[in-house]
Amino acid sequence: MTRDLALVVNGQPVTLHVDADRTLLDLLRDELSLNGPKYGCGMAQCGACTVLVDGAPARACVLRGALAEGRSITTLEGLADPDTGALHPVQQGFLDAEGAQCGYCLNGMIMTTHALLARTPDPTEDQIRDALRHNLCRCGAQVEIIASVKRAATLMQATPTQAPKVHAPQIQAPRIQARQVHAGDPE
Amino acid sequence: MTDALTIRRNGDTFLTLSPDGTATGYNGHVDLGTGLQTALAQIVAEELDLPLSAVRIVLGDTARTPDQGPTIASESIQITAVPLRAAAAQARHWLARAGALRLNAPLADISTQDGHVIWQDQRISYAALLAGRAEVLPLDDAAPLKDPANYTLVGHKAGRTDLPAKLTGDFDYIHDIRLPGMLHGHVIRPPYAGRDSGDFIGRSLISFDDSAIAALPGFVAVVRQADFLAVVATKAHLARQMAEALPVQWHRPPDLPDLSDPVAAIKDHPSSPRVLDTTGDIRAGLADCSPRLDRRYVWPWHMHASIGPSCAVADWNGGAPIVWSGTQNPHMLRGDLATLTGLAPEVIEVRRHQAAGCYGRNCADDVAGDALLLTRALGQRVRVQLTRAQENLWEPKGAAQVMEVSGGVNAAGDFHAYAFDSWYPSNRGPNLALLLTGAISPEPRPSDMGDRTIVPPYRIAHKRITVHDMAPIVRAAWLRGVSALPNTFAHESFVDELAAQAQEDPVAFRLRHLDDPRQADLVRRTAQAAAWQTRTQPTLRRKGRMAYGQGFAYATYVHGAFPGTAAASAAWVVDVAVDMETGEVTLSRVFVGQDQGLAINPDHVRQQIHGNVIQTASRALQESVSFDQITVTDQSWATYPLATFPQTPQIETMLVARPDDPPLGVGESAGVPAAAAIANAIFDATGVRMREVPFTPERMRDALGIQPRQSAPLALPGRRKRKTLLATTLGLTAALGLGALSFPLARAIPKTTAPAAANFSAETLTRGETLFALGNCASCHTAPDGAPNAGGRAIDTPFGTVHSTNLTPDPDTGLGTWSFAAFARAMRAGISRDGHNLYPAFPYTSFAGMAEDDLFALYAHLQTLPAVAQPTPKAQMSVPRPALAAWNALFHRPQSLAPDPAQGADWNRGRYLVETVGHCSECHTPRTALGAQAKTPLSGAMVRDWFAPALAGPDAQLRGTDDIAAYLSTGVAPGRAAASGPMAEVIAGLSTLPDGDITAMATYLASLPTDAPAPLPEQAATIPDRIDRIFANACASCHEAALPDLLTAAQIPLTRAPAIRAPSPAAAQATIRDGLRAPTGTALRDMPAFGADLAEADILALARYLRARYAPDLPGWD
Repeated sequence: MTRDLALVVNGQPVTLHVDADRTLLDLLRDELSLNGPKYGCGMAQCGACTVLVDGAPARACVLRGALAEGRSITTLEGLADPDTGALHPVQQGFLDAEGAQCGYCLNGMIMTTHALLARTPDPTEDQIRDALRHNLCRCGAQVEIIASVKRAATLMQATPTQAPKVHAPQIQAPRIQARQVHAGDPE
Repeated sequence: MTDALTIRRNGDTFLTLSPDGTATGYNGHVDLGTGLQTALAQIVAEELDLPLSAVRIVLGDTARTPDQGPTIASESIQITAVPLRAAAAQARHWLARAGALRLNAPLADISTQDGHVIWQDQRISYAALLAGRAEVLPLDDAAPLKDPANYTLVGHKAGRTDLPAKLTGDFDYIHDIRLPGMLHGHVIRPPYAGRDSGDFIGRSLISFDDSAIAALPGFVAVVRQADFLAVVATKAHLARQMAEALPVQWHRPPDLPDLSDPVAAIKDHPSSPRVLDTTGDIRAGLADCSPRLDRRYVWPWHMHASIGPSCAVADWNGGAPIVWSGTQNPHMLRGDLATLTGLAPEVIEVRRHQAAGCYGRNCADDVAGDALLLTRALGQRVRVQLTRAQENLWEPKGAAQVMEVSGGVNAAGDFHAYAFDSWYPSNRGPNLALLLTGAISPEPRPSDMGDRTIVPPYRIAHKRITVHDMAPIVRAAWLRGVSALPNTFAHESFVDELAAQAQEDPVAFRLRHLDDPRQADLVRRTAQAAAWQTRTQPTLRRKGRMAYGQGFAYATYVHGAFPGTAAASAAWVVDVAVDMETGEVTLSRVFVGQDQGLAINPDHVRQQIHGNVIQTASRALQESVSFDQITVTDQSWATYPLATFPQTPQIETMLVARPDDPPLGVGESAGVPAAAAIANAIFDATGVRMREVPFTPERMRDALGIQPRQSAPLALPGRRKRKTLLATTLGLTAALGLGALSFPLARAIPKTTAPAAANFSAETLTRGETLFALGNCASCHTAPDGAPNAGGRAIDTPFGTVHSTNLTPDPDTGLGTWSFAAFARAMRAGISRDGHNLYPAFPYTSFAGMAEDDLFALYAHLQTLPAVAQPTPKAQMSVPRPALAAWNALFHRPQSLAPDPAQGADWNRGRYLVETVGHCSECHTPRTALGAQAKTPLSGAMVRDWFAPALAGPDAQLRGTDDIAAYLSTGVAPGRAAASGPMAEVIAGLSTLPDGDITAMATYLASLPTDAPAPLPEQAATIPDRIDRIFANACASCHEAALPDLLTAAQIPLTRAPAIRAPSPAAAQATIRDGLRAPTGTALRDMPAFGADLAEADILALARYLRARYAPDLPGWD
């Protein structure tokens, strides 16, 4: 059954006319053409689909749109500074330490790191391994990813104004406005 | 922009220079996520003396790049980059000559730097030299190359060129290709998942019925060709929903051999021996061994296990198709697609986009075939995305392998004889679309890839090396390390066994038999740098329950047709810790020395070493594909777990610097020694020799003689339960049968026309609506997907199935002709208007206590519902209705609840709501064998597959007015309780209740628990086994979440889950099987259903595991 479903995505309010039982991952990818969150398993096992919902990490493949209604969703696309395009320190950390091979899991690693550093700004290596224990990487980039998280923590501390934050609608540029036109399910 | 300079051979372009002075290199291989694109750019920029940013690399695209074969065997840098490098060098010479002419300078004095030709103090840019030119040169393979001593880019740090876009979501993976007008196909695969030979392939589809889905919005078509079947829709999720709803009938496939015993299965499979190396006289040599060792090493089937399931888009394009694909081998795929369509290969264009790392032949090519079949049938662009299960079930596996060795040392302690036989049931993975459509025959197709690194590198007097070529048993194709990995497991384990036999240090033994100085140098330097501890027997170092050991192994990855080409060589020193109580093997440190000649990008070489170590260690320690009698069973990471972050060892690397030697492939070499090195380290720690991969805790416990945990018997409860129910039914019928007739049946109450809505006050109607919600009437009186409140929902009871009635005011099938008197009698006495008894599944025993005006308000509300004509299906009960009158006489005490003067108004109101209209006791009070409520009210009960926990007495877990009120209004008392199953629906109904009523119910319910609450237990320790791994990989991400605020995590710890504290596993099983769905209006969360992912036996075993781990204070369910 289709209905209006209101979300805030990367700071931009959007209203989708969709079946609200579709997963948030499905809505972000197929209705809003966002590429950051990836489909990996559909059962919250791998973490490739991770997004932030009101700042908290969520596995978008098991979150129905209806349960995200009215919430503020941040995807990988929403991390960089909307005005300058400057990478978020977590992204910069993964660039500096090359925390990816194929990069398909990278979205989940970055979004999970974002959530980790929000609570634990200076994690030990054990804390990093523990926080990422449910994020799978088949290429075996774990060594570089751990280094990336450490680098990100350093960068975050060096730039305190860049602390992880929940996107507030009023301060964001409309990055996805053009993508709303085709959003909707057949009636 | 027309190219100013093009270097080609036989119509293939290798390099172009633009008039702006930038270069584009073309290579037929693809970047599998290893950084190939960056490395090739470094090579071109180095030879051309251009900045890295001025070089672009075009990879694997049939319209633009040369056909250089599949991206396999780690040969991209070593082999396919050679012409590219020559072209770049040739272009630099051309530019130098052009510059010399322009500057009127001697060529010998010209240099190039940073995109400029330089002579003395004069500089001229490449752009200036290229302006207005349109030169085409034939590729000169002999163009003189730059002296590596002058390298500034190659051998130095350079960041991945593809990473910035991947960090921001701007990178277009194959999954991100969206084209205008694109439709979505969802394939429906046959039941013979992962099989590729036999008469049934392509001939198993009996029928399907597209009328079931054809009228749905978004439906486009069902496309079928032999066993290829797919649904196409306007949206991907619709295509999937329709595919899952399409009724399809297939023939049952024939059984597989028993693949839990790969040795028997493989050795019984037809094969043909190919003798590759005979040195000396193997018979005589074996006879001279003292002693002769006969060993068998076994490798399991593995998955490529790409993190992203395969995807493709195809556009028929008027008969000149374009296919967007994540393939490893665009040109080979194009050939397959030509066979599939009957088109000439040149007509088809394959555009390659990066996919999730594939590490070999996964489903990337198959899904391209799927998309092409669909676009051909429909003429429109079609995208096909495989599911996780489809990818895991159908990907051509890395093959199991059996290696048998006979050999030994002679009296002098020298490696004297080695007879090696290897069976490798694999081929190159024919495209699935070709097999399903019958475009190629499903005959067994042997291949010749079992001979990788099949000859050990040691000096051995007598050798006979044989590979047994054979067709796959299940779909199998190359996976990283191919057959070299298992072959090396055998070689390097056996050498270790010989060293132990000879009481010689394993590294010294190897060095004594290595003639190649470069190889010996690698072994020596690795052992030294890794602080190898010399030993002549296993050190068996113990500390507490842990045993520690160190292992060595070394190999050169040899690829291509025998005798093949050597890629990089790698040596491992690995330190392991073995838990002697659980059998778990932990890698604490892996040191890898590698000789790859010139390292183009040392950082990226190290990344390949790290990745190879982690991936191959995962394969060696924990991975193996499971099968049932027909097919692969591992549909997700639940049963095919990959290594995780906590398992990542410390990895140290040593790159042997050989800048003057040609670069050797590094994509696979570092993993090849893994399994043997680990097995050798386990031997050093424990004295136990592991000869079958993976080295799971179960295998280790077996090998070490550790007593395994008592395993639980399976599949008994179902039978036992049926028997109990049957006995109860018979008892009830017998008890009531004799007396039934002596009770008079009730009279009918005449039909009247129900009063119109206008006759009821607004206040009455509001109150009725609230009561209706509180009683959760709609839940039972609405069939799944049925009209609201029109009844028809089947309610299974121990005595049969009864259907809920139509509550709407329809005159013929609902309550439209019921007077209030008839309604009140039904609510209080359980007697329908026409006089027949209602089964007590309808909770009149609770409703009987309702106040008269509340009953009237409820009646009023019902009469205002939209009328729906829907008759109630007949009950299928073992107890006749007349017997119910007897049951009522025995058990039903219709009386109003008198307020308790000792309690306050809130308490009394709460009690009234809970005990009457809320009918909480219907579920939460246990029942006797005759179906009456027991004398321990609200003490917890199983209700079919659900457990309604205790609300009263010592066992009540949820206590305190605030927690209970939060639970009743949102479904969640944070951290303490979360509603699930039918209770979640109840909460949804309660959410409309006034706050005062919620508080009242909470006040009453909070008064019911007695004694101090029993402290909940700590979770019990577990023993690592299959079920423990299922929990870790399928459940823990939500139930032992790694981040405390994960929004999709479970809301309460499993120690508090009623389903796990229930008397039987039924509720836990139902929850795992069917998942949970949060009703609208609650604060609850969903849980995915695992019924399709896990076998029923695993679900039961998982329920028992949860009980033992999270409710250790209660009796187990074994």
